[in-house]
Amino acid sequence: MSLLNVKDLQVHFPIRGGFFRRVVDQVRAVDGVNFELEPGETYGLVGESGCGKTTTGRAIIGLNKATGGEVLFNGENLATMNGHDRKKHIRDIQMIFQDPYSSLNGRKNVLNIIAEPLRNFERLSPKEELTRVQNMIERVGLSPESIYKYPHQFSGGQRQRIGIARALMLNPKLIIADEPVSALDVSVQAQVLNFMREIQKDFGLTYLFISHDLGVIKHICDRIGIMYKGRFVEEGTAEDVYTNPQHLYTKRLIAAIPEMDPVKRFEKMELREQINVAYRTEYDSYFDKDGRMFDLKPLTPTHSVAVHQGGM
Amino acid sequence: MVTVNQKELIAKEKANNPSLLKTIWREIRHDKLALVSLVLLLGIIITAYSSPLFIDQEQLQRVNFLETWEKPSETHLLGTDDGGRDVFGQLLLGTRNSFTIGLSVTLIAGLFGLTIGLIAGYFGGFVDNIIMRIIDFLMVLPSLMFIIVFIVIVPDYSVFTFVLMMSAFAWFGKARLIRSKGLAERELDYINASKTLGTPSWKIMVFEMFPNLSSLVIVNMTLTLAVNIGLETSLTFLGFGLPASTPSLGTLIAFATNPDIVQNKWWVWLPASLLILVMMLCINYIGQAVKRASDARQRLA
Repeated sequence: MSLLNVKDLQVHFPIRGGFFRRVVDQVRAVDGVNFELEPGETYGLVGESGCGKTTTGRAIIGLNKATGGEVLFNGENLATMNGHDRKKHIRDIQMIFQDPYSSLNGRKNVLNIIAEPLRNFERLSPKEELTRVQNMIERVGLSPESIYKYPHQFSGGQRQRIGIARALMLNPKLIIADEPVSALDVSVQAQVLNFMREIQKDFGLTYLFISHDLGVIKHICDRIGIMYKGRFVEEGTAEDVYTNPQHLYTKRLIAAIPEMDPVKRFEKMELREQINVAYRTEYDSYFDKDGRMFDLKPLTPTHSVAVHQGGM
Repeated sequence: MVTVNQKELIAKEKANNPSLLKTIWREIRHDKLALVSLVLLLGIIITAYSSPLFIDQEQLQRVNFLETWEKPSETHLLGTDDGGRDVFGQLLLGTRNSFTIGLSVTLIAGLFGLTIGLIAGYFGGFVDNIIMRIIDFLMVLPSLMFIIVFIVIVPDYSVFTFVLMMSAFAWFGKARLIRSKGLAERELDYINASKTLGTPSWKIMVFEMFPNLSSLVIVNMTLTLAVNIGLETSLTFLGFGLPASTPSLGTLIAFATNPDIVQNKWWVWLPASLLILVMMLCINYIGQAVKRASDARQRLA
């Protein structure tokens, strides 16, 4: 059985206006998203900014309310649960935030930050708590005296490690990583990514990895879902998506990755122009008349694309 | 394993991070004016609060027609008033009463405003909307008039009811201030992180949000303390404050409504007026130092 099964998830935000602030229209931030996560895998959600990938992650963990659809975690629907029932499941799903500067409370030292989840779910003596925190802080590669330091005394990469340590404290099954490295510089990005991979093996974690960085996604993800305007355009293994993109949007996205080899630069440029022409001529077969994507159709067992029923 | 060397480092780190109170103290020490103010204010307060030890309140309140309007002398350091009562003694007891009232109004109103403000700021949206409309309504009420009417219609009001009445009109501003800062704070990820970690809402409000607003609260409370002492005094001056039998700074200043007393019997009202001036200035200078301490960019120390 899959660990997480998202079925037709919708998150709509009302636009209010006019007299009495009536609901005039909806922003369809997430509009019918389906995917499954198997235990132990890393699933990447990619898309341009504003395409709804972060909102999807936040709806799964409950920071945004899902207006429709189901979020099945171990077979139970989190989307319709009230706060009390949800709390039983929340310790199995944790989140790593994008900005390591605002996601740690500057008034608390590292000990209090990392011990927060423990204090909510487990009753430990201060001594046991300290040992648990010490072990975790060593595991994420920070020195033991740092537990009495405050967040502003750390670099971005170290802060992100603190954020990760806090998320790991309850031994969760699923971690939603919302652009965990996009606020860090490139050398530190690799460090944090490799570290995330390491702990994935040790703790048996499943990642839902949200990012707009195609390079990062390729490096870390087993399967990838490409999102555009709140819907999936293509889903498949990293291999499928990067070497054999089927949807027009995915093709454009992949073609936008800069080419490192100077010899191939002109080839790439031609490819980009071809896609641009295709975008103008074949637009109708990828988007319906409202400019909305079609539902996903399986091409191979692992690869599915949002195309019109009739085929390509 | 944690080695001995690391243990030293841990202990050092524990001591290295000054709390807000320490930074405030450091800031005050570096600001001469604030330091003098603090010493002066503490001196006044300690004298005032220890005065019941050497002043007999009943003796002080006893009317003695043989000694009315006496000039300052050795027996009466600051002379006597219309009932032959010692002004110096009244000044000390009055300071004590005025300051107690000012402080309790600040604390009660502060606590109430803080709670309402945190709730409105943390939940936002619908809850915030309702609370803010209620506060908008309360704010347009003429609070001074309400307090005066209350005092007139309530037959036997005491210091306690007076404090409650003043507090009831002093919390709106604070609630608004906290709410506006809270609304900005709740968008930050550390609040979201606490939510995903399963922390209950009240804990997030008290232990996550409040510490980040605490400097704002302390600054605001210090500055409104001076305002509240002034409010109590002016109400008493107008004759709607404490009953005349309870000495306060306001009852002494209220003598200045009579032109003869203003001109010829300065010892009755002048010391009290000067004391209020000094106290308010002191509180304000200390408040400024606290304000600077709460913002790292403005610190002098």
